[in-house]
Amino acid sequence: MKNRLKVLRAERDWSQADLAERLEVSRQTINALETGKYDPSLPLAFRIARLFGQPIEAIFDDGEA
Amino acid sequence: MNRHSPAGRRYLKRFIPAMVAYLVLIFGASFAFRDPGLSGPLAWAIAVAPALPIVAVIAIMGLYIKEETDEFQRRILIESMLWGFGVTLTVTTVSGFLEMYVHTPGLQSFWAFPIFCLAMGVSQLFVRRRYR
Repeated sequence: MKNRLKVLRAERDWSQADLAERLEVSRQTINALETGKYDPSLPLAFRIARLFGQPIEAIFDDGEA
Repeated sequence: MNRHSPAGRRYLKRFIPAMVAYLVLIFGASFAFRDPGLSGPLAWAIAVAPALPIVAVIAIMGLYIKEETDEFQRRILIESMLWGFGVTLTVTTVSGFLEMYVHTPGLQSFWAFPIFCLAMGVSQLFVRRRYR
């Protein structure tokens, strides 16, 4: 699934490791999310959305809208 | 296994003593069975002893999956385990039929776990690469 994680992260000048630490996941997890190869569970998607202060659908795009 | 997560560290803290116990018990059992007179309940107990740490390692793997909070790491491990199960069942099934019909020497069933671990370990490299 496409997402804006990389852009949102860059806007805040965070490294993958910074974002990983804030979400309490590994850096590999951030990488897999950013490349769209791994779709997060709903709970993780909510945590990401809260961290960036945006609704889930503003971050993730399932291509259906 | 994600060595940096608390669950990963707990896994190692449990796994390493279990493997040490395994090595001690397997060498101990091999040594004990050099005595041809070993029989009865003692022989059974010594024969089963090296299997116990392996059973513990299976439980330790289960605990890791339960405790790992990083869902992506959990996913990688579970996918690798499924490859491990698939390879182990394939090898043991094929070997079993060969043994039954053409009387090959057969695979001793204690090999199932090492085959599983090897297949899981190798597949983990490929599973990780796919998500990179």
